[in-house]
Amino acid sequence: MGKKALVIDDNKNNLLLEKDLLEVAGFEVFEADNAADGIAIAKRENPDIILMDVRLPDMRGTDAARILRGDKETSDIPIVFVTSSVMAEGIEEIKDIPNSGFIGKPINTRTFVKQISQFIK
Amino acid sequence: MFWKRTATGSQEYSESIINTIREPLIALDQDLRVVSVSRSFYEVFKAKPEETVGQLIYDLGNKQWDIPKLRELLETILPQETTFDNYEVEHNFTTIGRRIMLLNARQIQRVLGKERIILLAIEDITERREIEHGLEKTRKELEVIKKSADEASEFAESVINTVREPLISLDQDLRVVAVSRSFYEFFQVKPEETVGQLIYDLGNKQWDIPKLRELLETILPQKTTFDNYEVEHDFATIGRRIMLLNARQIQRGLGKERIILLAIEDITERREIENGLEKTRKELAVIKKSADEASELAESIINTVREPLISLDQDLRVVAVSRSFYEFFQVKPEETVGQLIYDLGNKQWDIPKLRELLETILPQKTTFDNYEVEHDFATIGRRIMLLNARQIQRGLGKERIILLAIEDITERREIENGLEKAHEELKELAAELKRASRAKSEFLANMSHELRTPLNSINGFSEVLYDETFGPLNEKQKKYVNNVLTSGKHLLLLINQILDMAKVEAGKMKLSLSSLPMRSLLNEISLLVEDTVSKKKIEMSLEIAEDLPNIEVDELKVKEIIYNLLSNAVKFTPDGGKIGMRAKKARSEIEVVVWDTGVGIAPENMEKIFEGFFRVDTPYSRVTEGTGLGLPLSKKLVELHGGKFSVESKGLNRGTSVRFTLPIVSGKVV
Repeated sequence: MGKKALVIDDNKNNLLLEKDLLEVAGFEVFEADNAADGIAIAKRENPDIILMDVRLPDMRGTDAARILRGDKETSDIPIVFVTSSVMAEGIEEIKDIPNSGFIGKPINTRTFVKQISQFIK
Repeated sequence: MFWKRTATGSQEYSESIINTIREPLIALDQDLRVVSVSRSFYEVFKAKPEETVGQLIYDLGNKQWDIPKLRELLETILPQETTFDNYEVEHNFTTIGRRIMLLNARQIQRVLGKERIILLAIEDITERREIEHGLEKTRKELEVIKKSADEASEFAESVINTVREPLISLDQDLRVVAVSRSFYEFFQVKPEETVGQLIYDLGNKQWDIPKLRELLETILPQKTTFDNYEVEHDFATIGRRIMLLNARQIQRGLGKERIILLAIEDITERREIENGLEKTRKELAVIKKSADEASELAESIINTVREPLISLDQDLRVVAVSRSFYEFFQVKPEETVGQLIYDLGNKQWDIPKLRELLETILPQKTTFDNYEVEHDFATIGRRIMLLNARQIQRGLGKERIILLAIEDITERREIENGLEKAHEELKELAAELKRASRAKSEFLANMSHELRTPLNSINGFSEVLYDETFGPLNEKQKKYVNNVLTSGKHLLLLINQILDMAKVEAGKMKLSLSSLPMRSLLNEISLLVEDTVSKKKIEMSLEIAEDLPNIEVDELKVKEIIYNLLSNAVKFTPDGGKIGMRAKKARSEIEVVVWDTGVGIAPENMEKIFEGFFRVDTPYSRVTEGTGLGLPLSKKLVELHGGKFSVESKGLNRGTSVRFTLPIVSGKVV
């Protein structure tokens, strides 16, 4: 059975790119372009991994991650922040979210899925 | 005469007595007519026998004897009593004036059965009474004197017992007659141990002092007194003391024995105080001397200080001015001393503010500090003066003078104003800089984010296309999409380098140090340019010392430096040229040189190459990819490691040589 991945990103092109790469690798991909929808899907679908942008229209990706961590149903889902905020402040922001990872944009399409897979148990 | 007619022996005797005694005597018959008078009667009352004998007594001397008191005596008292004694009669006699007479009378019988005669003795006691009165007065005065003498004696006694100064009285054998209460208290002796004792034996012989013996036995008998003899002695009861002795040898009552009165004053404490006083006096003398010196110093200061100084008397006339005053205000001594301050230098000192200070403030406060006066002086133009004044007394009781110090703070004020302005501007600038720095950081972070987001799509999708993930491309499509990808990657490099430059400049670039094998690192990087080198038929030579030690650096940064320099060498060297890299250990550093035989750098561009985005305009560089940030960023990264970075070129088309060093052990804290 293919693994479930949830991608939360407000930039439709990036969302599409990640979805393509994951689907090619056999993932069942769920999409959300804001945090609230993403959290709802996460609770409903219980994905194997969540790919999260940091700057989202309704809240910071890190705040969404904390909500997911605080909810029993989603607290164990690994979260990988795929973000353009590659400078020190951005990295500092996500540091204290447990069971999370970081991939800077622009992504390397040739290694992306491999990097993601490392965070799945 | 009457006495001769009745002569007997006793009568004669009586007569002779009558005529001898000075007291006037008169004999009257029973009818009170004069029988006879004594000689002294005539003398005293200036009467004659023919005017007297046979006369009624009251009619004598122009009736001057008609005295009521006498009538009473002769007519009332005598017939009953036959005698009266010492009747005093005061009467104003016509011949002799007011007199006090003492009358004594006897009524006697002359011979048997014969008539009685009255013998009246008249004593003039006027003078006696006067003497008696004087005597009485004297007696009373004497009594007063005696009383006051008694009081004085009592007073003296009480003084003796009251004074704190021990007092002792001795007889002529130097035995104690009496001592004052304070003596007992002071020397801690008892009366029974004291009175009757020889002074030297008192209190366990503690008074047996040679000096005291000398005083009492030698000096006092000669002089009867001695004053303020000082005796220092170690007394058994009260310890070492300095005593001041005063003595008087006096006679108590007339003809009585002499006694010695000895007053003993303990001046130990006083002497100590006096010594302290003396010391203080000497110190004072020293202070006074230094005060004199200070005064001299003050004078020399006045003439030395650059600050103009002027002293005025109480009428505000100039007493003296300092040398600097003359120089500063361009006035002469003869125009200054004795002048009213306001009149100085063509009345240029007639300033309302100065008048206020000198006439209103100074009399009340005796001093004022740092009063600023701005005034347009005739000789020196508009100036800001800082005035300090003291009203002082020159010597005790002398007149007061006013010392006025004038400091020209015009320039200082200008500088201060400028400084303050500059300081404020600086503060504003600093705030602005801080704000700008924060804005720049935020801007860079935003720029980085906003550029990466579209770049993610550009690079990502072109990579997916190039990899033909969703189906094959023709040759041309593949070539074009590769162009998009290359340009995208170039743009990403540019973004990354700009961000790094900004980070270094903002001091925010942090190194993550680790120990690296330098030799393999250099070889590794050289492989990255091998492709291009072979394409361009460039000859690359590596001279890396065998013994290069491990080095403590940030791996990514050092790789970036070496890659930047090697790729620059390749880029700016024409086909068939030469590039190379040398590395060796130099003391505590590793020195790396990357050289080429390429386009070189013109001397005028030597500075520009570090400014960023500068690329030598050559036929080769035009077609070459590059950001123009590689060299300046490399220099900054080397310097961040604590190394040195330099570029040499003999000129255009004569090649370039970049030399940098890195410390083997980093001085940086990780």
